[in-house]
Amino acid sequence: MLPPELIQLLTASDLVDLRIDAIPKLQVGFRPESLFSSFTSQDGEAKLTFTFIPHQIPLNKDHEFFEDGDIHRHLYLQNLSTCPAYDSPTARQCEFRCHISGCSQVFSTVEDYEHHYNTLHRHVCSSCQRSLPSARLLDIHIQEWHDSLFSILAERQDMYQCLVEGCGLKYRTREQRKDHMIKIHKYPSDFMFDKAKRIKNIKIAKKNMLQKGTSMEVSMSVSEPKGVCEVLSDQPEEEEYMEINHSLEPGILDPAGNPINTVELSTDHDTAPILSVTIQPTTNQQRPQHNRERHSYRVPRTVCFGQGSVQGFRGRGRRI
Amino acid sequence: MWRLNAVRHKVGRQGSDLEEFKFKRRAHEKELRRARKDSQLVSKRLLLNDDDEEEDGTMDTLASDQVVELFKMVRHGRDLVKKEADLRALRKALRSPSAHLILIKQPNSIAILVTNLCGPNPQCRLEAARCLHELSHSPHSEVDSLRLRQATPYLITFLSGQSPKFTELCLYTLGNMCPDSENVRDMLLAQGIIPALNNCIQIHRTNLAVVEAVGFTLSQLISANYVTGRIIPAVLASGLIPHLLSVLTLDSQFGLGPVIECAWCLHYLACSNVDNGALVAQGTLLRCTSLLVTLGGVVAKGSIEEGMELLIWPLLRCVGNLLLSGPLGALQPQLNDSRLLAALCAFPQAFLQTHPALARESVWVLNNLTAAADSSMFCSALFYLNLVPALIQLLPFSHGINIMVLRVLGNIAHQGREYCLHLAQAGLLPALCATLKMADPEVVTFSLEVLDQLMASDPQLAEEFVRQSGLPVLEAIQYSNQETIRLRATHLLEHHLPPHCTVDTSASP
Repeated sequence: MLPPELIQLLTASDLVDLRIDAIPKLQVGFRPESLFSSFTSQDGEAKLTFTFIPHQIPLNKDHEFFEDGDIHRHLYLQNLSTCPAYDSPTARQCEFRCHISGCSQVFSTVEDYEHHYNTLHRHVCSSCQRSLPSARLLDIHIQEWHDSLFSILAERQDMYQCLVEGCGLKYRTREQRKDHMIKIHKYPSDFMFDKAKRIKNIKIAKKNMLQKGTSMEVSMSVSEPKGVCEVLSDQPEEEEYMEINHSLEPGILDPAGNPINTVELSTDHDTAPILSVTIQPTTNQQRPQHNRERHSYRVPRTVCFGQGSVQGFRGRGRRI
Repeated sequence: MWRLNAVRHKVGRQGSDLEEFKFKRRAHEKELRRARKDSQLVSKRLLLNDDDEEEDGTMDTLASDQVVELFKMVRHGRDLVKKEADLRALRKALRSPSAHLILIKQPNSIAILVTNLCGPNPQCRLEAARCLHELSHSPHSEVDSLRLRQATPYLITFLSGQSPKFTELCLYTLGNMCPDSENVRDMLLAQGIIPALNNCIQIHRTNLAVVEAVGFTLSQLISANYVTGRIIPAVLASGLIPHLLSVLTLDSQFGLGPVIECAWCLHYLACSNVDNGALVAQGTLLRCTSLLVTLGGVVAKGSIEEGMELLIWPLLRCVGNLLLSGPLGALQPQLNDSRLLAALCAFPQAFLQTHPALARESVWVLNNLTAAADSSMFCSALFYLNLVPALIQLLPFSHGINIMVLRVLGNIAHQGREYCLHLAQAGLLPALCATLKMADPEVVTFSLEVLDQLMASDPQLAEEFVRQSGLPVLEAIQYSNQETIRLRATHLLEHHLPPHCTVDTSASP
């Protein structure tokens, strides 16, 4: 329970010098220069952003901070505190919350949170908000779906890479690649070559599914949201290998990569404000699109962050 | 004296009784919380008599005419021996609250009891005192201090008497009356209750049951709401403080009752902030911190007694508030035992699961020790004694604990670069990577504040943070729906991590 050093310190009977004024004091203060930029300007800006200042906290007897202790005292005064299993409130471990604006899912362990984040928020394509399992697959996805040059080149040469890492072979069509993966790499024929693996729960609003899939389509019964923005009809309808399709919200970019006006998507559950997320490093983030208090954020297509871009998407509720 | 053991026996008898007891206790706790929110948290104590225990469960409630009859006999009786028996019977009848209403309806009932209280026969005095004590504990609002006020000057006078049992009764009766109203307290003050308490505690200083009763009564006097501005200064000036302080030891024979009561008195005095300088000058901080160190030793040995938290709680609060009474440098002579810091780190570990609020308050005291202008010696001591890892271990816990720990860590980080480096050595950076992912936005905000201080102090800490895979966490936080969090995360990414935060424009055409 207690670290042995601590026990030692509190129970040692020999008279070690434990006076505070005998303990060597560490030097206070900070270096005057900083390596990155002039300390003073950085310091000034930091002071505006970061507001914590060490301060002592006085508490009067009626402060809510003292509530539990007072209750315990009064239970004792009233002879009610002697009970073998006292139901006092026990300390809980903190919950973890996904910080992506609009995600807000809560998890009871950090492993659950990390799994969620790695599954849904990493390797996300900034054009279509699909999340891919790895950086390589993300690259392939972007190349095959969002690169206009690719389709031109694909007419002349073999561009469809085998998805198995290390294979290196390329094929002229998707079907050929699929055949290769089934025959050579022994992938099951019902592997989701062309359809998204829908992992998301049904609280996500789907985009308008125009059912032009192949017979491999696997669809879960997801309630159609009302009033989906039609801007998305330009997007390719076929799903891709192992994608997780987030709800394609209004407010994402049109194919040209320009931010568009957002339209609130109405769904049958709690209002969800989310829209894709933007990052503009030097300016304010908010650009309210609506009379509502929620803000929208958009990521320019050209921006992608090393560890996987983060996009907004809908999905609320608790996952345990 | 509080017969905790007796209560426990009753509780342990049958399983169903236990369940019912727990259920009642839970309901009761809810009521107490509500009362506290309404600023009406009041408790009274009923002293059990020796013969009460024997007859437990066999008493029948007397019919009202029987009570009236008994009272008449007391009133008119001439034979002292018989009167004593009648008074005893009356007192037993008063164990049933319905008898209270019957009695007070009788003309001059209180006056008669008071007469017997002051009468020549010691046994009659005792029984009369017991009757009044039962009435002071009455659940009926009609039986209030106003009714009983005829008795108070006598009760107060008897506090300077020599008989411990009788004195104890008078004390608890007065203590039960204190919370009733401001008028009552004014009256008691005017009638000289404080000098009387001061006398009492000196006369009976070896009788710990009486000392406990003095502590209880004083705590009721000074903890009531709307305590008049005169009571606390009167207590501070009365010379009671040194006597209260002398009780602050762990006497294993008698039990913790008296120490607990005196400690709560000191807490109420300290948080009223009337004259904490005077409290400190009389050695309050020194005594409280020594006792905390002793308790820390007990906790470390693993031999926590039941009820020990009732003592630790007020001591922590008293020390926490007294730390603001002056510059820490001036207080330092009373805070010179570095084991205090160890105790303050041991309590949260020990009480985390049973009393998390106590864990939180312990860390609050650490905040007050580390947040002052001249806290550097305490911060240095935390490193020297290797106590920081124990604090970091508390970061997963909610209930306000992790926020208070982050405050302490922030306080330490603000001391300087050396302190930041030591914090990193103690393993703070990976711990912050975890707290940054937590659901509570306040935890995240505080974590960012601490992180800023660390990274601003030395670039190698920023590198270490990146090595701990902190960068994706910060990037994720940039999309938080809380602006305060976004701004801070962005600031950190821009100012402290520029070599790493590259904008990759090659990802999509």
